[in-house]
Amino acid sequence: MSVRDLLSPFTAWKHLFREPVSIKDPLDREASERYRGFHKNDIEKCIGCGTCEAICQNGAIDMLPVEGVDTIKTQPGDSGLRPRIDYGRCCWCALCVDVCMTGSLTMSNEYKWVESDPDKFRFTPGVDKKHWDDYKDGYHRPDGHRLNAPERIEMPELEPRERIDSFIEIVGGYSLEQAKLEADRCVTCGICVATCPTHMPIPDYIAAVRDGDYERGLKLLYESNPFSQVCGKVCTRKCESTCAASHEGDPIAIRWLKRHITEQVPYEKYRDIIGEPLPPTGKKIAIIGAGPAGMTAAFDLARKGHTVTVYEAQSHAGGMTRYGIPEYRLPYETIQRDIDLILSMGVGIHYNTRVGHDISMEKLQAENDAVVLTIGLSLGRSTRIPGSDHENVFKAVDLLRRITEGEDIQAPENLVVIGGGNVAMDIARSMARLQQQQYGEINVTLTALEDKAHFLADPVEIKESIEEEINILDSRGPQECVIDDQNNLIGLRTWKVLSIFDDQGRFAPSYDQDDEQLHPGAWVVEAIGQMSDVSLLGEELTEKLEWNRGRIQVDDAGHTSEPWLWAAGDCVKGPDVVSAVATGHKVAASIEAAFAQRETGA
Amino acid sequence: MTEGRGYKKLKSQTSLKDILEVATEFERTARDFYAALVPRVSKQIRYLVEELAEEEQRHFDLFSGLRARPDLEDMLQELVETPASDRRFSDCIHLPELGERPDDQEVLQYALGREHAAMEQYTSLAESTPAGPIRDLFKFLADEETQHKNELEKRYYEIVHSGGV
Repeated sequence: MSVRDLLSPFTAWKHLFREPVSIKDPLDREASERYRGFHKNDIEKCIGCGTCEAICQNGAIDMLPVEGVDTIKTQPGDSGLRPRIDYGRCCWCALCVDVCMTGSLTMSNEYKWVESDPDKFRFTPGVDKKHWDDYKDGYHRPDGHRLNAPERIEMPELEPRERIDSFIEIVGGYSLEQAKLEADRCVTCGICVATCPTHMPIPDYIAAVRDGDYERGLKLLYESNPFSQVCGKVCTRKCESTCAASHEGDPIAIRWLKRHITEQVPYEKYRDIIGEPLPPTGKKIAIIGAGPAGMTAAFDLARKGHTVTVYEAQSHAGGMTRYGIPEYRLPYETIQRDIDLILSMGVGIHYNTRVGHDISMEKLQAENDAVVLTIGLSLGRSTRIPGSDHENVFKAVDLLRRITEGEDIQAPENLVVIGGGNVAMDIARSMARLQQQQYGEINVTLTALEDKAHFLADPVEIKESIEEEINILDSRGPQECVIDDQNNLIGLRTWKVLSIFDDQGRFAPSYDQDDEQLHPGAWVVEAIGQMSDVSLLGEELTEKLEWNRGRIQVDDAGHTSEPWLWAAGDCVKGPDVVSAVATGHKVAASIEAAFAQRETGA
Repeated sequence: MTEGRGYKKLKSQTSLKDILEVATEFERTARDFYAALVPRVSKQIRYLVEELAEEEQRHFDLFSGLRARPDLEDMLQELVETPASDRRFSDCIHLPELGERPDDQEVLQYALGREHAAMEQYTSLAESTPAGPIRDLFKFLADEETQHKNELEKRYYEIVHSGGV
């Protein structure tokens, strides 16, 4: 035994004079900065997507409605629900924080909470106020730490130089691998479903892409949208505007995944997957107009076993999807595939038949149990500025229709388009293609009242127009189509728009008359708005019908004030393909209900 | 239009009362014009013409009410120019022809033109009148017409410039 061994027990005594390491009252101890303590939720950022609930391994989170907070309500992009956490189940793993799509859910570093009532430990962070709500420390998802990829898989498309001299389709479509990667980004929250006008089961069909079960995906698509191939290419994708992924990254490419499903299933199989219509009921329905609304109603009603006949003024079906959208965005073959599928349900169609001219409304009323008006917005508006009655001033919808009909159009060497919506972009890009084919160069100027931030056109359309050398001039107010002494149209005179909206957000442009420009153009094409051609109704029916600020008045189900007449689509809802599909469904359901009511009454 | 026949008639008025009477009559004529137009337009756009008639009626009521205010009586009698002219007033209104079945855009363009002319007329009168209650009245009338015109412009753009698909 050494001396050290003998003395060492006594050296321990020195610790008697040191501060104790153990804490006498641990309840006062402060946790570390990144401690995973009690939850906080920024209820203004939270959208109630429920991804936290879905990922919780202990079932500790329930999404519940909140009462008494005015700012929390069900609205586009917000379910109106907020997460309630049960601390009897929570293990503070923080997966809920890591997956939160908006970054609203975090954890404070508070860890003490004394209650005598165990039910108090079920609470809604952010709504049930707690003293740790203002804590700065605690666990927040570290920057760059994401459970799902923030960036969408880019859609392959033709380069401008490859596409500008033809009407060949620009977008290529996802490969299997690309589609699965994109589908994997979806957290299946379903916030998008409420925003989609026709409430397509988006998370379910994206799950079908993940599973590689495309036939299941196709069945899901056509249960809610008989224009799935069309919408897979040109849907206005309101769903993507509310996608939970868009809060901290790109929204899921919902439209492209829909398109992908339709491209993976052989067309020959579509009919079998969708299924047969019910046996004939003997009920007859006439539909005026073969656009998306009319053909959707026809699809639904024919599947119920009713005899449906569509009357179409043009030589082909599709309405504005065919006669308004250029082929480089939506090939005619794509439209025809959806149309043929609808017709295969037993829908009859009369082309080149103008109601009010070739057949009367009275005859349709007399010979059918119901009539549906889906006449769209086929007439273009004119600015009616001086000179706008010149023969070389055109309406965009008329020109687009002529291009679709295959007319040989001799483009001018330069032209000016008025308008900032999708129709303006469509005609500008179509004419640019014709110029490229005929002259080898493009000279198209597009003027719009709005500044670029407020253009009505899809941002992708604007981007692609610029790529295609369209000269886009924003904030220009048209004043005159200028005509020279020889009666030649030489261009459009505009003033600078200083502001476009008033303080209530209403359209109220003000101009700087000193900033005047003449935009050279042998043609001026107006694309400022559209309206319905209601002349087919005749004076008597026009007088009988109720109207709502220029549009046919309908109830929520599309029923007009006349018991035999329904209306749907752009003519009642404004221009939008998927909204037209939604109203077509509503009208079909309303007619079905009316038939049931009549039979019950009889 | 700024210094047309209406301008001369108003300029020759000698009191606030005269001017308000002319302005009230102007609104009444416009209201009656729109009321008569209602059955001539398609039912689809009748709401628009009815609203225009209602708005002119509101102006008519406003100006009539002003004229009847007891605290304005003194001012209404104040003479600012001589000589007094006859009180006929219809010359100040120039109503362009609308076609047999005008559409919504034509009706709105007509209404805008009318409000614009009235606005310019009152503004010009205010500028050429010495400071005082008469000028204040012209400014008030110009403001009223300007507000109405601005409201119509918003409606015009909402109906006509509705964008595209």
